[in-house]
Amino acid sequence: MSLRQRLLLLFSLTVAAAVAAVSWTVLLRIRQVFEQRDQDETALFVSQFQREFQHRSADVASAIDRIASQERVRNMAFELVQSGDTAPFLNEAQTLAQDARLDFLEIVGPDGGIVSSAQWPARFGYQEPASKATTQTPFLKREELPDGSTALGLFSVQAIHGSEPAVKLVGGVRMDQGFLADIPAAPGMQVGLYSEAQAEQAGTGNASGFDAKNFVGPDGAVPSGIKYAGLIEKARRSGHQESGVLHLTSQRDESVAATAIPLKSSAGGVLAVLTVAISRNALVAEQKQIRGIAYGVAGGGILLAIIFSLWIAARVSRPVEELARAAEEVASGRWDARVPVRGSDEVSVLAESFNHMTEQLETQRESLVQSERVAAWRELARRLAHELKNPLFPLQLTVENLARARQLPPAEFDEVFNESTHTLSMEIGNLKKIIGRFSDFSKMPKPELERVDAKDLVARVRNLYAAGSEDGPRVDVVTELEDAPMPMMVDPELLHRALSNLVLNAKDAMPDGGTVRIAARNRESKVEIRVSDTGQGLTPEECERLFTPYYTTKQHGTGLGLAIVQSVVADHAGTISVESREGQGATFVITLPRADA
Amino acid sequence: MFRRLAISFVISVAAMNAMARTRPHYGGTLHVEIAGDAWERPAGVARRLVYDGLTQFDTNGTLRPALALTWEQDNNFHRWQFRLRPGVRFHDGSPMTSAAIVSSLTASCSANCPWDTVKAVGPLVIFSNDSPMTNLPALLASDQFLIALTANGDGRSPASAVGTGPFQVTGFNNGVLALAANETCWSGRAFADGIEIRVHRAVRDQWLDLSLGRADVVEVPAEQLRLAQQQHLSVIQSPPIVLLALQLGESGMLANVKARGAIAAAVDRGALYNVIFQKQGEVTASLLPQKMSGYSFLFSTERDLNRAHQLRGGLATGAITMSAEGDGAMQLAAQRIALNLHEAGFNVQMAAAGTQHADLVLRQFLIAGSDCGAAMERILWDAGLPASVADKTSEDLYKRELSILDNHRIVPLLDLPRGYAIGARLRDVHLRADGSPDLSSASLEDVR
Repeated sequence: MSLRQRLLLLFSLTVAAAVAAVSWTVLLRIRQVFEQRDQDETALFVSQFQREFQHRSADVASAIDRIASQERVRNMAFELVQSGDTAPFLNEAQTLAQDARLDFLEIVGPDGGIVSSAQWPARFGYQEPASKATTQTPFLKREELPDGSTALGLFSVQAIHGSEPAVKLVGGVRMDQGFLADIPAAPGMQVGLYSEAQAEQAGTGNASGFDAKNFVGPDGAVPSGIKYAGLIEKARRSGHQESGVLHLTSQRDESVAATAIPLKSSAGGVLAVLTVAISRNALVAEQKQIRGIAYGVAGGGILLAIIFSLWIAARVSRPVEELARAAEEVASGRWDARVPVRGSDEVSVLAESFNHMTEQLETQRESLVQSERVAAWRELARRLAHELKNPLFPLQLTVENLARARQLPPAEFDEVFNESTHTLSMEIGNLKKIIGRFSDFSKMPKPELERVDAKDLVARVRNLYAAGSEDGPRVDVVTELEDAPMPMMVDPELLHRALSNLVLNAKDAMPDGGTVRIAARNRESKVEIRVSDTGQGLTPEECERLFTPYYTTKQHGTGLGLAIVQSVVADHAGTISVESREGQGATFVITLPRADA
Repeated sequence: MFRRLAISFVISVAAMNAMARTRPHYGGTLHVEIAGDAWERPAGVARRLVYDGLTQFDTNGTLRPALALTWEQDNNFHRWQFRLRPGVRFHDGSPMTSAAIVSSLTASCSANCPWDTVKAVGPLVIFSNDSPMTNLPALLASDQFLIALTANGDGRSPASAVGTGPFQVTGFNNGVLALAANETCWSGRAFADGIEIRVHRAVRDQWLDLSLGRADVVEVPAEQLRLAQQQHLSVIQSPPIVLLALQLGESGMLANVKARGAIAAAVDRGALYNVIFQKQGEVTASLLPQKMSGYSFLFSTERDLNRAHQLRGGLATGAITMSAEGDGAMQLAAQRIALNLHEAGFNVQMAAAGTQHADLVLRQFLIAGSDCGAAMERILWDAGLPASVADKTSEDLYKRELSILDNHRIVPLLDLPRGYAIGARLRDVHLRADGSPDLSSASLEDVR
């Protein structure tokens, strides 16, 4: 990843993180504020409900009490007790309930049997357990109706005044949507009352499944009532107030913060659940707005970050990149690479320093090259002087000897003359050989390429040197050749000469005898030829200078052999290197391109 | 002397007035109020004022001629021949012919007639059936087979009800059916010039109108007879001629006779009698009342919930629908029976009033006439269980009834009377054998 991209990423992340942190904090705070508001409104509604409940309770109790004190009712109770005949009063409860505007009313005899029932006239004679309530406090009860349904009601029990034994009235009003409609609700608040149609199974606390028809609000069925099922069930089971967020539709802004409050009978069982739901529309809208702003700010910030990073890149990263490119060029050998210097900051100082450094390097390289050239010339002159001096000295002695021999008798002069001319011819031959080598080195011939297998080359060299010389130490020449073909496009003569040179050097490195090993193998797209000896080896310094022309470790040598080998190998687009440790012999490794199949 | 003459004069005038009050007068309009419809079956109050049957029951329950003068059976009751009364005309003036009779009878029981064929032959109407029609004449006296004109002279249906009865329809406005006396009625002109029948009037309002003089005849349901008497209304009531019974289907769960038996055993007649119907009529478990058959007491009326559970046993429970004909006490009685059945483990759901094809239907059946076999046959016919009851002896009738009731398709509960309250100005009102008021012989006292 480039510096510019890193900078861009860093700036963008910084901006985004900052915006996200701020947005999250603001959203959290807003949610807390709204939740508190919802709780307050819910608590207010619940207290209103409780007040209304108490008012209704008082109303019911007073209505029942008024009925119980009516002259007509007292007379009825008296007749009932006296005669024991309930038949004449079958329809009394209906009339009384209508007059008192009660939804439920039953007249219950001293034995607890229903004398007359307004809500279920046919139930006369059956027992009414509620009549046995000892408290006069109104209570919630679920009342069964003739159509099989049940209704939740607020009931009160009152003995008819003056009746002994007591004839009781059990009456009440429905707790239904009309009851809810009387309770003022805040705008956006949805209240509902859920009462189960079927009575709970005795003792198990298990009720029938949620039925949306039994969940009503002030205006009828609560919209999306089924969504409240889980919360209502939770409140029903726990018997405590439960709260939660409900998503009425797939739209998030149609979610509500709902609270379910269980309404219990005098025995403690949950008869109904009151729900208060406050729309989260405002909260969601606020959150949306804040998110929108956050996204906008983040987007703008990222845009700014891009612009800023581009500017920074122009100021900082480009010079650095230029520096990096120039350094690569220098590394690859182009020492004349320069970087433009802009401004006067640290980066421009760095650029100036780089330019100065490359200038120095170039100057020093030129000096070094010149020095090396001078050194090479000096070495060449030294070697040449040394090589030439050797044969010239005997030449001089022979000529001087010959001049002195002129004084000798003809027979002795002839002997000296013959011996001298022989010596002169030999040394002139040496001179010619030396000059020939120098000449060869100076003008290496251009390779004439042929397709040759490395095995053949190596075999030719082995055959040439395997026999060894009759006198001198024994040197074995062994080969290790790969079976697979090792084709190369080379000049076989030049390469033979190069290999011969290496073998000869190897022999020279083993004055006490040893083994010269010539190995050849395929290495991917190359052919590798290794020439190893078991001599004394070379020091690292010797390895470094080995291929320098006129450098030699032999007492007698031109120092051109390895330079010629290197030149031949380089002409074939190959490489040569040496691996050696002092006392462990040396290995020359030639790598040549493999010819295509 | 003068004093004696004055006293004698006063006494004479008083006597004359008294004599004048005992004689009915023609004229005036009777005001009748009912809770239901004037034409509803059975025994809608207008039906027998406008229509006549081939036969009729008198107040003693004896079968008498009406539009037919004589009748005779043939081929062991497989064939009946009724000779029509001559000179009878419909209200529109058209003569009553045997063809018109046949047309009316055919229309009255289009799908399920107690005869296979009925045809008109001159002044005769002839009925034929593959099964013996032992009690056909009594059956023809029922409300279902009253004769109405089905097509007038140009072949079209009459605009209003047209019969041969003592009154004819003159109009229906604002819930009041107006009838006018048939001047040429074969049974004689009624005393009143007209009758106005106000329909769908609540009983309480009817009584109020009666007390205010706005009504002359109002209904007194059986369960309110005691109350009416307590309120000193002038009540006329029939013997217990209405059989309140539970009619059971035989589909679904009720296809099992044990299930039906369990239902029969679970019903608490006592609660119905003592409370709902205010001890009016009689508790019964037989089709015919004790006074008529003499063996009704042999059928136990006690509730046996244990037996009901035993009979129900492990039968699969499904919802049973129940309806009741009528409203008020009938609906209340049906709800009470549903509660009884619930205790026996049945799941009964109340259907709307008048629902057809409910599994259980609480109905009222008229016990007409004094002939037990005819009455039983009539009840069975109305219950959709047609059967010819030719048994005549008590023992045979008992065995017959026992076999019918053991099938538990019909469960008798109560015998109830019918009652009406009459106004002060109305005279000579009595109830027919079917409990409906015979207003053709009624007169108004304040008419001169």
